[in-house]
Amino acid sequence: MVKQFEGRRWTLPAQVYAAPLELYAGLALTPDELEHELERLHYRRAERADHPGTYRAQGERIDVALRPARFADETRPAQLLSIASAANGIAGLRDGAGHELPVLRLEPLLIGSIFPIHGEDRIVLAPAEVPPLLPAALKAVEDRKFDTHHGVDPVAMLRAAWVNVRARQIEQGGSTLTQQLVRSYFLSSRQTLSRKLREAIMAIALDAHFTKADLMNAYINEIFLGQDGDRAIHGFGLASQFYFGKPLTELDLSELSLLVAIVRGPSYYDPRRHPERALARRNLVLKEMADQGIVGEADASAAARRPLGVSRRPAGAYYPAYLDFVRRTLRRDYHEQDLTEAGLRIYTSLDPRAQDQAEHALEHELARLDRLHRNPSSALEGAVVITAPQSGEVIAIVGGRDVGYDGFDRALDARRSMGSLVKPFIYLAALESGRYTAATVVQDAPVDVRLVNGRHWKPENFTREVYGPVPVVRALAESLNLATVGVGLDLGLAKVAQTLERFGLPQHPAQVPAMLLGAIDVTPLEAAQLFNGLANGGFRNPLRAVRAVVSAEGKPLKAFALEVTPVASPEVMYQLNRMLLLVMDRGTGRAARALLPPQLVVAGKSGTSSDYRDSWFAGFSGSHLAVVWVGYDDDEPTGFTGSAGALPVWAHIMAGLGTRSWSAPMPESLTEAQIEYPTGLRVVPGCADDIVAVAVPDSAALPARPGCRLPDTVRPTDHPSETFLQRAQQWLQGVGH
Amino acid sequence: MPARPAVAVLVSAVAALTACATQGPAPPNPARGPSAAQPSPFAEPGVPPPATTGPGERPSTAPAKQFHLGPATTALVAQAQRQAGSGDYGPAAATLERAVRIEPDNPLVWIELGRVHLSEGNAGQADALGRKALALATGDPAAQALAWRLIADALRARGRDTDAYDADRRATSLAPH
Repeated sequence: MVKQFEGRRWTLPAQVYAAPLELYAGLALTPDELEHELERLHYRRAERADHPGTYRAQGERIDVALRPARFADETRPAQLLSIASAANGIAGLRDGAGHELPVLRLEPLLIGSIFPIHGEDRIVLAPAEVPPLLPAALKAVEDRKFDTHHGVDPVAMLRAAWVNVRARQIEQGGSTLTQQLVRSYFLSSRQTLSRKLREAIMAIALDAHFTKADLMNAYINEIFLGQDGDRAIHGFGLASQFYFGKPLTELDLSELSLLVAIVRGPSYYDPRRHPERALARRNLVLKEMADQGIVGEADASAAARRPLGVSRRPAGAYYPAYLDFVRRTLRRDYHEQDLTEAGLRIYTSLDPRAQDQAEHALEHELARLDRLHRNPSSALEGAVVITAPQSGEVIAIVGGRDVGYDGFDRALDARRSMGSLVKPFIYLAALESGRYTAATVVQDAPVDVRLVNGRHWKPENFTREVYGPVPVVRALAESLNLATVGVGLDLGLAKVAQTLERFGLPQHPAQVPAMLLGAIDVTPLEAAQLFNGLANGGFRNPLRAVRAVVSAEGKPLKAFALEVTPVASPEVMYQLNRMLLLVMDRGTGRAARALLPPQLVVAGKSGTSSDYRDSWFAGFSGSHLAVVWVGYDDDEPTGFTGSAGALPVWAHIMAGLGTRSWSAPMPESLTEAQIEYPTGLRVVPGCADDIVAVAVPDSAALPARPGCRLPDTVRPTDHPSETFLQRAQQWLQGVGH
Repeated sequence: MPARPAVAVLVSAVAALTACATQGPAPPNPARGPSAAQPSPFAEPGVPPPATTGPGERPSTAPAKQFHLGPATTALVAQAQRQAGSGDYGPAAATLERAVRIEPDNPLVWIELGRVHLSEGNAGQADALGRKALALATGDPAAQALAWRLIADALRARGRDTDAYDADRRATSLAPH
């Protein structure tokens, strides 16, 4: 038994970290936002920033005493950081010695751990990482004779029996810390006499073989201190994170006393569920410590007046959908046991700000949509995936409206019909064929396809109208089904399928005509993979959440490096993306404009599957791609389109991200042309009312609108930026709508 | 044997980048933040705000733009070069990914990342990253030339000498020595 104790190392679940915030001069982070980020990491505002974990904000200067930090590629000791902050962003950074720092990362936020199902989660502390007050407090409250007894304390056991009868003072368990350790370590918690006896004998044996300091340290790392769903919170290191979101060394007297109070009954004294009980017991612990002279009376009574100070949500349970993706990524390379026992450190690309924004927008908008479209039988659901398109990093995932619920993860597992999200890929294939440009006129006319089974497929537009000849740019912006089907049939289903596969569609879509209207089931994450290639200008990168895995000892084990694969030419991509900007301007995305910052340039596409079962919106700026799905879990029709359901969620997310405008450079072989939106005919300003700017190949010969005199000395393409900027200006001002 | 020529080219790329980075102060580069801070929706990080130029501008009619690295990315690129110099290609790539996240639209950062991959022997990825840089470098002949040189070296490392020759010629025509 002693051998077993000696040989046992705690199983250490992998710890998962968010992306660290990079600070540098020029970063658009206001002083308030910066302070919010420090508070997210549980830095405490103080008069002086002299202890790690504190900061001082004075005017536009923020001094931070940074904690020691471990990154995937660097271990950094505690250090001082001085940030000169201004209303429009960070002006400069200096270290404690006053040297300028070009760039510095805040420590990454711990967002969870990968623990076995129904398993123990813990953070193991070395004796040096334990504030001396903790063992003193544990002895005072749980086991006064710990230093002198031989593993059991018969007097305490008798006293406990007596006190429990009176049940008026602080309740006494009667078990020594060593007995509690034995119970937690080796035994089931069944209360039988023989178990009590074995426990006592084993405690005596342990006491004979180990120093008191070893036993105390084992106790501090072992003891059960809370339950979070399937996750059992063990040890004071994790409990400190779980209840307060910061390391044990930073707890004040009242916080430390609360953890000591919880030892006796983590469920009964759960400070989140039973705050009054927890508070009363914490104050009893403080009184006991003062009575025994461990802390001063004045300190104890001051601490007793403090609120519980427990964080709103338990650390590590914030982002179940994101952690789900992390876990699935790692299971391809690691055995379950490595993840749950080996103490790995997992560094991810989660952006807590984007994640919060996505959760909030989804919750808020689904509640609003539920009120609008009352459906008594079920509540709307939704999912969100946000990426940084150029690096292919997934920065936020929401798996449903109940964000804390670790259950069905719609972002990864809901396979839904992609609807009109397929259309950009059809037009991409069209541009690649060389036979179409944004200005090419296509027929929005009734379609009747005889299928192999003899039936006829007769799709319709959402409006049930037929639009006749329309330019490609309008067919895409307004998501015209008939025109798109015509283009798709002209190109061939195989061509469209192949385009989707190039951008990362994981399956071969069934090559039936309905494919052209998005009869392809994808998860929101897969939709994000497809659109990430568009947002990244025709470069596909496998979406990733994990940046690196580091061993418990700090050795880098695996890096998931940035990889890009060119899948479409920059020329074709630019033409397509300029059309997707017009979706936001003229088409099914225009309702977003009221919700977005007026000067923000974004591109996107709505998606609505047949019978309105799925409402999608996928769109991007220069720095973010967000995909939103809204629908019912049981596949009931929602009654609204992508524009009515998913679009407002998307717009609220984008509006809150502080995102950058889309601004890809136009390839040199393209030219910007102004065309009449209804006809696709080339025009110059002033000769038509309804003008849009599109990008077309230099060689494209666009027919001019009769009566529009295109100057032949100066080609209209010689001032393309002007027209684009004018167009953007119009977009800003909402002219023409 | 892709590593040997690559190192020599890395040095020349470094020289070119350093020269580039010292030309004028970089404007603040908000990787995120309220777009109200942006003078124009088409402002590109690392490039002076386009007073008369836009994404649609053609090099023939517009003053060429010139990318340079901001202070944060300059520091990270320098760190990555030290790491790559000691053969720590993985850490060098990780450092450059930090730079990419700060200035994702700056082709010079992508070229550096491609150089590290090439030094490590991953010519396929170096080629792809060169093409990514090339797409971003439109309008900046110097950056385009660096991208073409990277592509040329990557092609040569894969034994595609004819294609490499073409790529080198394009680089030379953009930025004659």
